Amino acid sequence: MGKEAQHVLNVGIDLGTSRSAISASNGEKFVVESFVGWPVDMVAKKVLKRTVLIGHEALSNRSMLDLHRPLERGLLKEGSEKDVEAVRELLRHLLTLVGAKVDGTGTTRAVVGVPAASLRTNKQYLRNALKGIVDNLMIVSEPFAVAYGLEALLHSMVVDIGAGTTDFVVMRGRYPTEEDQRTLTTAGDFVDDQLAKLIQARYPDAVFTVYMVREWKEKFSFVGNPKSPVIVQAPIRGVPTDLDITIEMRTACESLVAPSVETMIDLISRVEPEFQEKVRNNVILSGGGGLIPGLAEALQKGLDQIGGGKVKALEDPVFIGSDGGLLLAQDAPDSDWEKLTA
Amino acid sequence: MGKLKRVKRRLVSGAVSDNLDTIRGFGPWTLRRRHPSRAWMRRTYMVLLPVSLLASTLLVSAVTGEFPFDNRHAVAAVATTPAVTVASARPVAPHPSRTAPAAMPADRVFTDLPVPIDVAALNLSVRRVILDAGHGGSDPGTVSGELLEKDITLDINTRLEKMLRQAGFDVEVTRAEDRTVPLRARANIANQSSGDIFVSIHVNSIRGSHAIRGIETYYLGPTDDPMLNELAASENRGSGYTLADYRRLLEGIYADVRQDESRALAESIQKSLHGDLVSVNPYLENWGVRKAPFVVLVATEMPAILAEVACLSNKDEAKLLETDTYRQRIADALFKGIVAYARVRGGEAEKGI
Repeated sequence: MGKEAQHVLNVGIDLGTSRSAISASNGEKFVVESFVGWPVDMVAKKVLKRTVLIGHEALSNRSMLDLHRPLERGLLKEGSEKDVEAVRELLRHLLTLVGAKVDGTGTTRAVVGVPAASLRTNKQYLRNALKGIVDNLMIVSEPFAVAYGLEALLHSMVVDIGAGTTDFVVMRGRYPTEEDQRTLTTAGDFVDDQLAKLIQARYPDAVFTVYMVREWKEKFSFVGNPKSPVIVQAPIRGVPTDLDITIEMRTACESLVAPSVETMIDLISRVEPEFQEKVRNNVILSGGGGLIPGLAEALQKGLDQIGGGKVKALEDPVFIGSDGGLLLAQDAPDSDWEKLTA
Repeated sequence: MGKLKRVKRRLVSGAVSDNLDTIRGFGPWTLRRRHPSRAWMRRTYMVLLPVSLLASTLLVSAVTGEFPFDNRHAVAAVATTPAVTVASARPVAPHPSRTAPAAMPADRVFTDLPVPIDVAALNLSVRRVILDAGHGGSDPGTVSGELLEKDITLDINTRLEKMLRQAGFDVEVTRAEDRTVPLRARANIANQSSGDIFVSIHVNSIRGSHAIRGIETYYLGPTDDPMLNELAASENRGSGYTLADYRRLLEGIYADVRQDESRALAESIQKSLHGDLVSVNPYLENWGVRKAPFVVLVATEMPAILAEVACLSNKDEAKLLETDTYRQRIADALFKGIVAYARVRGGEAEKGI
C-alpha cells in the first residue's frame, strides 16, 4: 500500500481558519497563519516588494494589504473570487515551503482536512478551487484525519477545537458517515468574540483589536479555577492601562463547554449500546482549543451525566491533523490516487 | 496488527469512495442505499408528474377548447402581479449526469436521493414576498451607540415593502413594528402566508474589528444533480403557477428545489447589494453568498435568504446607516435583487422585458 515513487510527494494539509499546517513525506512540516494579502496600491507594492504576502508576514503588514482570511468556519467562502485566489495562494505557499515541485515536473498528492459536517457542495467548491495546484486531491473530515493519525480508529471520539469550528467524530472502524460527525461554530473565534465583548463591557474606554484579544486568549486562557489573575495591558485614552480580565477570560473559555458536552452526549447516545462505555472512555481532545487548561477536565465532568468517561487532551496538536492526512496519503494505493485527479 | 491494517484499508477505501462520490456529485452516504427500490418509485414519480400535468392540460384543452394556463390568464395576472409568467427560453446544456451513468456502477447510478427539478424549467412566477426584519422588541440585535439593529432592519423592511407593493408584489411582513417575534413564529407566518420567497434583513457586527465592512447573503445549503429539467421546461411553459402552488404539488422533491432557488435568490440579492452600495461605500467588501443553518432558513418552506446588509461595528458604515439616504439605497438594492430573481424565474430576462 502506498508505495511511494521517487518523484511523488505526499502531503497532508490541515487547512484551518486561523492556521494551516502541512506535513510532507520528505519530512518537512510547516504551519502558517491563514492570511493572504495583496498590496493595496503601487506604493504598497513598491514598499513590500512582493505581489502577495502570506501568513504572519501578511498579518504584520496588513495596513498596506487587501487582507483575506479565506476560510471562515473552516470553509472556503463562496461567491468571493478573491477568497478562492487567497486559498490557492495559501496552498501554493504551503507546498513551496515543503519543497513540492509546483512547476509540473513532480507529482504532488494531497489529503486536505475540512470540517466534519461540510456538505458535498462545500467539498466540490474547495476541489474546484484547488484545481491545478496539486496533481491528486483527497478531501477528508479534519477530525477523521486526526483519528487516523493517532490510530484511534475504533470506539473512540475525537473533539477537534479549531478557530472556526469544533468538530466531532465517533470512530467505529469505518469511514465516518454524517451520523458519526458533527460540527459546531462554537470554537476559537467564538471565544475571541465573547472575550472582546466582555472586556469591552467592563472597560468601555479600553481600545484593543481582535488580534490582541486572540493573543491574550492564547497566553492566558483557562477553564475552572484561575491559577493567578489574568492581567493584560491596553490603552485607555492613550494611557497604557492594566486590565484584570480573569472573570471575562474564564466566562469566554467556558462558553465552549456546554455545547461541546451536549454534542458529545448526542453522538455517544447514537453508538451501539455495548460500545458506548468504550467511546466515553476514549475521547481525544485536539486542535488549538484543546490546549485551554482545564477544558479537558470540564468536558470529562460533563460526561458524568451519562456514567462518566475520560477526555485526554493532546499536548502538541499543531501537526496532528496534517500528519494524519499524510498517513492517509501514504496508505492510499496508487490505483486509488489515479482516480482522484485534482 | 493485522486487524489494524484491515481497518485502515477499509477507512482509506471509504475516504476514496467518498471523494469519488463528491467528484460525481452524489449525495452523502447516509441519504443513499437505504431503500434501493424506492429510487425507482421516485424516478417513476418524477417522470410521471410532468407528463401527467401535460396530459391533464391537453385533456382540458381538448374538452373545453381553451388552454387552461394560456397567455390570456397570464395577461390577467399581469394586472395584479409583477408579471413574470412568460415562457422560459433557457438554453439546455447537456448535464454531466446524462453521460456519466454508463461509466458508473449500478448502485451509484440509482441513488436514493430525491432528484431535484430545476424550478426554472417549471416556469414559475414570484408573487408573494415575505419580508422579515431581523430582531425586534426585547431583542435589539447588534448595537452601536444609539443605533440598534432592530430599528435599522425595520426601517429598511418598511421601505422595501412599499417599493415591492408599488411594483405589484403581494407582501407579508413578519413584524411591522418594534415587537418580539420568535424565529419559529416568523417561519410560521411565512409558511401560512404561502410566500413564494422569504427575505430576512439583518445587520452584521464583526467581532473586535472596527476596520472591516462587508455584505454577505446566506441561504440553506443546496443540493445538485438536477434531472428532467429540459423535459419539464418544455411541458410547463406559461403555466402561471406560483412557487407556492407548485410547492404543494411537488412536496418531497421541493426541498431540493428550494435550496437551489434560495441560492439563486441569494446570488441575485448579493450581487445587487454589493454592486449598488459600493459606489457610495467604496471600502465595502463582497463576502459573497454563503450557507448557514439559520432557523428562519431551515423552517421556511420557500426559497429563503438572510441578507447581512451592513456592518454596524464599522464606525463609517454606522454613520452611513444613520442616514435615510443610505437606508433607502439598501432597500433599493434589495428591491433590484428580488426583481432580478423574479424576472429570471419568470423568463422575462431571456425575452428582454
